[in-house]
Amino acid sequence: MKIKSLLKYLPTFIFCGFIFVFMILWIVIPKEHYSPQEKRVLADFPELNFETLFSGSFQKELDTYLSDHMPARNFFVGLNADYELFSGRNGSKGIYLGTDYYLFPKPAQATENLTKNAGYIKEFAEDIDIPVYMTVLPSSGFIYSSRLPWNHEEYRDDELIAGFAKELGSKVNYVDSVELFKEKSALSQLYYRTDHHWTSAGAYECYNNLGAAMGYEPFAKDKFRKESVDGFYGTSYSKSALWFVTPDTIELWSCEDQSADAVSVEISDGNDKKSGNSYFFREQLENDDKYPVYLDGNHSFVRIKNKDAKGGKLLIIKDSYAHCLAPFLSLNYSEIIMVDLRYYKKEVSALAESENADAILVLYSLQNLSEDTNLSYLF
Amino acid sequence: MVFSSFIFLFMFLPVTLALYYITPRRFRNLTLLIVDLVFYSWGEPMLVLLMLVSILINYFSAILIGINREKKALARTIFVISIILNLGLLGFFKYVGFIGETLNFVMPFLNIPIIQVSLPIGISFYTFQTMSYTIDVYRNTVKVQKNIIAFGTYVSLFPQLIAGPIVRYADVAEQLVNRRESLQQFTDGVKVFLVGLSKKVLLANQMGVLWDSVRRSGESAGAVGAWVGIIAYTFQIYFDFSGYSDMAIGLGKMFGFEFMKNFDYPYISKSITEFWRRWHISLGSWFREYVYIPLGGNRKGLGRQIINMSVVWFLTGLWHGASWNFILWGVYFGIILIIEKTFMLKLLKKVPAFVGHIYSLLLIVLGWVLFYFEDMAEMFEFLGRMFGSSGFVMRGSIVSTVISYIPLLVAAALISTPLFTFIYHKIKSKPVLCVLDNAGCILALLLCVSALASSAYNPFLYFKF
Repeated sequence: MKIKSLLKYLPTFIFCGFIFVFMILWIVIPKEHYSPQEKRVLADFPELNFETLFSGSFQKELDTYLSDHMPARNFFVGLNADYELFSGRNGSKGIYLGTDYYLFPKPAQATENLTKNAGYIKEFAEDIDIPVYMTVLPSSGFIYSSRLPWNHEEYRDDELIAGFAKELGSKVNYVDSVELFKEKSALSQLYYRTDHHWTSAGAYECYNNLGAAMGYEPFAKDKFRKESVDGFYGTSYSKSALWFVTPDTIELWSCEDQSADAVSVEISDGNDKKSGNSYFFREQLENDDKYPVYLDGNHSFVRIKNKDAKGGKLLIIKDSYAHCLAPFLSLNYSEIIMVDLRYYKKEVSALAESENADAILVLYSLQNLSEDTNLSYLF
Repeated sequence: MVFSSFIFLFMFLPVTLALYYITPRRFRNLTLLIVDLVFYSWGEPMLVLLMLVSILINYFSAILIGINREKKALARTIFVISIILNLGLLGFFKYVGFIGETLNFVMPFLNIPIIQVSLPIGISFYTFQTMSYTIDVYRNTVKVQKNIIAFGTYVSLFPQLIAGPIVRYADVAEQLVNRRESLQQFTDGVKVFLVGLSKKVLLANQMGVLWDSVRRSGESAGAVGAWVGIIAYTFQIYFDFSGYSDMAIGLGKMFGFEFMKNFDYPYISKSITEFWRRWHISLGSWFREYVYIPLGGNRKGLGRQIINMSVVWFLTGLWHGASWNFILWGVYFGIILIIEKTFMLKLLKKVPAFVGHIYSLLLIVLGWVLFYFEDMAEMFEFLGRMFGSSGFVMRGSIVSTVISYIPLLVAAALISTPLFTFIYHKIKSKPVLCVLDNAGCILALLLCVSALASSAYNPFLYFKF
């Protein structure tokens, strides 16, 4: 065949080559059991028998199996993300790409849930004889709004948080973080670029700010030794599938005045128990997502003791933002109990009383507060 | 099984192509028939039996009609029974719930128990296909097909089985028994298939996302947002349906079949009459051939013609779905077509072309509102919104969503016109086309596969906040 006619029929060879090679790859490549990007277990090969075949469930599950184990899946998912970005749809996967490789989750919306949650916390504080403190953390997109792409949904975090705080009533000692963060954002990086969480620098500012209201003397910034670890790819990165974004550096701050063996951490999820003698669970640094290095990520119940600390007992009701803050607070409280209402399904007011807590801190990000429906477990 | 799925693209299609081309020519219909049945039963393991029943009914009634051609009354009886059985199956599986609900609504005292039947995929398409065969045999315009494998292959041919085009038996009778596949035809098929896949995956699905966002944003969309939304739906339904037809035509070519064109740039029409010559051509010609003309068409005076048109458009609406909004949609176009037939077409000829375009597009877009909303209350709410019942401007998060879809909306509008086909044919003889063709195929494959991969990429991060 001449070159010219070969070129003419090339689409046939491209197409057939593509589908045949892909079919073979699909069959022969080793199957992963877990996707670290998606943080989920991938589908197993469906059970094949007459029943599953005739009910159609085999066929349905085979579809999921094929998509979960697609060859070069990350390449294709990334290609689609790039295509959407460059054809004008920045944010189509819920994450905006801003300047300097900043990734921002889309803004929190005014939800009914937000008002409901304010009501729960108000009632909780009114019924308990322990002082309750609260702060709500704005999102990175609100704080670093100048880095957002030109076309983006409006971030109204200040309005939403102010409205929420107003509903809390007089028994909750509300401490504002929005103004503080706006002010400090130019000086240091308060949020990660590739993750929705705040950095240790961000958590430190909050720790420093809460002291006045909660009555402790925060340690000065220069008392901390900082250890940096590179290669942190956070959840915004995974969601966006914009693989060209460069990784973050995560910092572990340890106080110089703290003796090495004073800390003990006990973690429990129902019957699963785990313990350690550091705030940092370094095995988590092996993963792309390194944020769980702080107190090992999400758990239903965590107890942190610090022999060196002078203060009393603090109960924290929180989402994952607290994992980065608790190590700072632990320098001032001899014992901290953290409960995560997404997993802890017992009455929190009873816990606070039986533990004889001296203070309660409610710490949430606005995003989570507007979506979380588990605050009814407070009492 | 849908064409835009991994199971089809990377399992069914390669296996089918391989089996088909290693089969000796005289057994190829049998191979096709077997894969067709696998294809159909993939999603509907039991309902494939219904299709087999439909094949048998038409196969045998045609043979009986052929044998008894001299005995006119008998042939006629067999024919009528066959049509009743065909329409009975379609009626039962598609309309029984709808008829029950409607009767209960009109006469609540009847209290008819509603039978819930799941709609067998493609039944509206294959019933019309098989009927075209039996009717043509009865009219003696095609020969009886004695080979049940060839006939079964025609009815169940997987490319057009579930979403058309409605291929008339007469059009493929020759190809069924005597076709020559060629590399040229296969290559054309690949290109047409990829165009269709791109229309479906890269345009229709995305327009669907925009339309969903607009509906979810409710009142904050305002009139502007509502129009953008329904225009997005206008593109979605066109690219979805014509993309599917293109894929069917392309696949047909890969197996040596030539099917008729089903869409011919409907949105560039200057009248609704023209629109319906360009939209879902195979359905329109089926109704013309088997309903409109047998009723007398336009040969029995204007009054009779209007009645005939009304019947055809009522049925066209009903064919699209078992719900009153589809009938409303059919009747809506029936009325417009009757108006055009009586005086509007003459008027449209006198005005500048752009007036005709705007007139047609407005009516088409309004038609899609009727088509989309099965719930009348929602339909009227949306129509109200289009005309300012909740303000004119968009507010809130929908603004940035709409802005981000502008490039795609512009692309969709351009691709709805023959512009690119025109350019393609202009450069057809130039050597650069070869390179463009191949680059286009690679790009289309990569982008479509990546879009499919992406829709199955579900970061499970919400609980890991």
